Amino acid sequence: MTHRFRTLRSLFPISRSGTPRAAFLGSSWPAKMAAPVGKAARGWSVLALGLRSVVPRLPGLTQVRWSRYGPEYRDPQIDKEYYRKPLAELTEEEKYEQELRKIQLIKAAPAAKTSSVFEDPVISKFTNMMMKGGNKVLARSLMTQTLEAVKRKQFEKYHAASAQEQATIERNPYTIFHQALKNCEPVIGLVPILRGGHFYQVPVPLPDRRRRFLAMKWMITECREKKHRRMLMPEKLSHELLEAFHNQGPVVKKKQDMHKMAEANRALAHYRWW
Amino acid sequence: MWKAKMAAPCVFCGAAASYRFFLGGRVSLARKQGVWKAAAAELQTGTGFQVREKLRHTTGVTTKKNVAALRHEAYTVDFIKKQIEEFNIGKRHLANMMGEDPETFTQEDIDRAIAYLFPSGLFEKQARPIMKHPEQIFPKQRAIQWGEDGRPFHFLFYTGKQSYYSLMHVTYGKLLEAEKHQNQLQAKDLIGSRWLIKEELEEMLVEKLSDQDYAQFIRLLERLLTLHCGAKEEFVQRFRRSITVQSKKQLIEALQYDEQGTAFSTSEGKRKSAKAEAVVYEHGSGKISINGIDYLLYFPVTQDREQLMFPFHFLDRLGKHDATCTVSGGGRSSQAGAIRLALARALCSFITEEEVEWMRQAGLLTADPRVRERKKPGQEGARRKFTWKKR
Repeated sequence: MTHRFRTLRSLFPISRSGTPRAAFLGSSWPAKMAAPVGKAARGWSVLALGLRSVVPRLPGLTQVRWSRYGPEYRDPQIDKEYYRKPLAELTEEEKYEQELRKIQLIKAAPAAKTSSVFEDPVISKFTNMMMKGGNKVLARSLMTQTLEAVKRKQFEKYHAASAQEQATIERNPYTIFHQALKNCEPVIGLVPILRGGHFYQVPVPLPDRRRRFLAMKWMITECREKKHRRMLMPEKLSHELLEAFHNQGPVVKKKQDMHKMAEANRALAHYRWW
Repeated sequence: MWKAKMAAPCVFCGAAASYRFFLGGRVSLARKQGVWKAAAAELQTGTGFQVREKLRHTTGVTTKKNVAALRHEAYTVDFIKKQIEEFNIGKRHLANMMGEDPETFTQEDIDRAIAYLFPSGLFEKQARPIMKHPEQIFPKQRAIQWGEDGRPFHFLFYTGKQSYYSLMHVTYGKLLEAEKHQNQLQAKDLIGSRWLIKEELEEMLVEKLSDQDYAQFIRLLERLLTLHCGAKEEFVQRFRRSITVQSKKQLIEALQYDEQGTAFSTSEGKRKSAKAEAVVYEHGSGKISINGIDYLLYFPVTQDREQLMFPFHFLDRLGKHDATCTVSGGGRSSQAGAIRLALARALCSFITEEEVEWMRQAGLLTADPRVRERKKPGQEGARRKFTWKKR
């Protein structure tokens, strides 16, 4: 967690772009301004357990980008099976981590997460991305309707197909969802890099979480914009998911276009310095 | 062979080199191949002068027929395979000839057999007949490093020394892992303690310190820790203070008993501005009533009911307890969160200490401190700024 300071006298605060979360610690994404400081602080406190990162609180300066939890709070481990594992099965690392967690302070579990078997992190993330204006109830109902629609379509196909084809038709909406998103993930992306006064589109390998994000974002944008006026979101989304599952459709095409652009610009690959 | 070399596709880089080959300065520096060939022929037959320098091969314009003769023979994979097959068959024939078992015919047996069948009186050992596996005879070669589209297979191909750099890469990875492992081993000894804070150090040294001095000292101690046996040093231990090993500050409510003798436990929970109180009975069938209303009617949203179920499901006690809750304040989601906390705290009375620790690590026993952030002057909301206008 990085701490940025701001004087109360300044009328117009410094606007910052980009997300503040210090999630760039292990990533190959271009280092944003405050990331190196955060990295140093984290690397320290691995060994200096329990020591609060010393941040001088100077009078007249308030901190922005702060959290109600202190920097020493760790994220909770919600998976039930993690705790039920017998001691013999644990590796050295896991034992060490368990010992470590006994001293650490843990944050409260978020309201959207439970230990239920029906919970899927990918589905939750997708629901959050679909949400507008904080209307989680609507987003979640749309998600369930989408999965139901996918299941219905697949069952119709199943009942209409012959015995051999029935074995190949996938009916579980969750597997279809996961596979469809995996098919939409790009492997390589383009990043504008300033060189000699011009912005060049440089091909860059994408980290995993960026890929997943792009796949979901493209899917949602595609379903919101390119649909018939009267068509509802679940209908359109289920249709797009099924097409992506079979490696067809506009989202997969967008991914392939991205790959082609990267291939075309491969001469600029040496502009990348990370 | 010399003729072939001279007819090579060579373009000379500088006139300086030419004097070695133009003996007596008879032939001029004409760069046409025809002239070269003539010169070569003359040299060969005419002068008899020995040219000791080996011709340097440089790139240049070539005709197809000379390149094949020039390049030293490349052994294809198929060729090597065929040679290996022939060797194996020949080995078996040899074994049969010698009256030995073909399956257990080793290389030493082959050498003895060949020495017997082809006795040679040559002094040069390498000139005598040998029969060895083709891998030992033909020099090891690199396969073609790129595919049909011209793309190299190895990701370090363009470094020029791909095997070397990939080896370095792997070795460095192993080094980092070993260091990490060692760090972890070290850190194990340090789990229950912390560095002393600046005030404590000032007290110890009876001197005023600045923040930078203190930070520098801690950095130096951490560097010391990275060494082997650094953590166990008595010198380092002097500057460590222990912290409460377990966060066992959890208050576990005492059990109370009602008229029928069933045990129950009460506790409170808070979230944002919602306050809840929960009474959990030991024996029951999983019924939860909130403010006198059944939970299914009170929380029509699935997410809230999942939150109520969370503590029970985590401890595998889903249908085993009854609960009665009262809640006030807040919104739909914060009321659910407050009840969840109250239920988790109440359940602590019925479970083992280990399970309490598990619940704490799952985040069920921490009161969520997040509240609505205030709006700041000069901004539209808590974080949102006014639209930036250039002028």
